[in-house]
Amino acid sequence: MKTLFRLILLPFLCVGWMASSGMAEPETIGVVQTVSGQSSLIRGERPIAVHSGLKLQENDILETGADGALGIVLRDDTLLSIGPDSRFVLDRFAFSPAEEKLGFAARLSRGTVMVVSGQIAKMAPESVQIETPRALLGIRGTRFAAKVNE
Amino acid sequence: MNHDASMSTKWLWILGWLGMMAMMACGPKAQFLLLPNSDGTVGKIVVQNSGGTRVVDQAYHETHVDDPTLAPSEPRRMSPSEIQETFGDVLRISVRPPEHFILYFREGTAELTTESKDLVPRILQTIRERRSNDISVVGHADTKGSAEVNFRISKQRAEMVAGMLQAAGVDPTSLDVTSHGERNLLIPTADDVSEPRNRRVEVTVR
Repeated sequence: MKTLFRLILLPFLCVGWMASSGMAEPETIGVVQTVSGQSSLIRGERPIAVHSGLKLQENDILETGADGALGIVLRDDTLLSIGPDSRFVLDRFAFSPAEEKLGFAARLSRGTVMVVSGQIAKMAPESVQIETPRALLGIRGTRFAAKVNE
Repeated sequence: MNHDASMSTKWLWILGWLGMMAMMACGPKAQFLLLPNSDGTVGKIVVQNSGGTRVVDQAYHETHVDDPTLAPSEPRRMSPSEIQETFGDVLRISVRPPEHFILYFREGTAELTTESKDLVPRILQTIRERRSNDISVVGHADTKGSAEVNFRISKQRAEMVAGMLQAAGVDPTSLDVTSHGERNLLIPTADDVSEPRNRRVEVTVR
């Protein structure tokens, strides 16, 4: 009975998801400024080659190869440098001061990153967090570098 | 039996040594380095895991984690050569900070002040020179009058500036135009206050 119920429900859920994902254009949260060497963007299933001027969205995953390097500017003036052999995930980004929606959460799974924090870290320092497999990093308006060897 | 045990102990030692060598070769599992800001000030990072929390608040100091059940290490100053070795690649990547411009308006209108009109060519030059395709145009109003009217005016201001940039050849897909009405004041005031510095459009070129 339960299974049957799920089977009936499934198509509706799919339609609902399609409708909601088709409604609003995903918001741009930043832009790639510099690219060198090999790097790719994973958005959904398929990897895309990264080029300068590429606009980024929430949940984007950036990967660099052994010679790869990326320079990124986020909408709140955060500057990100992603070094070689890295994987960096832009989990969440909200910068709407007028609606008091502020937050930035990202993940460094491997490699190196340098961050110059932006306006979100100034206005709501507690809401900025970078996760690594072995520790969580909080930022209080600052410039720092992190490296993860897994 | 005894022989077997000593053999396996020997292997354990060898494996242990190999493991140590490997760890020394690629450094700690996760390392965090605080750097001074471009204006010379120094902020703070807070590194936390199930073992505890560590605050780094001195420039060029690092903390690291090997075992996630143990607190991050005591902050320690890294030498310039050590920093180069660990973070040299990522520190060499240059990212230009965005440029910000503020255009001001006459009271209750979407009409630029004379000084702000003169700023427009500089904005266009910056867009071209940086070959920017990500430009934010955000309209604002002061608190004089009703919130609805102010929202409308701030929208008209942003659209006016976006229109000017487009007319000068900026690709409309590069422009992100929004309006905040009287909710995002540059100079905090009470309600119903005419404040020229709040009647503005902020343009950010990335």
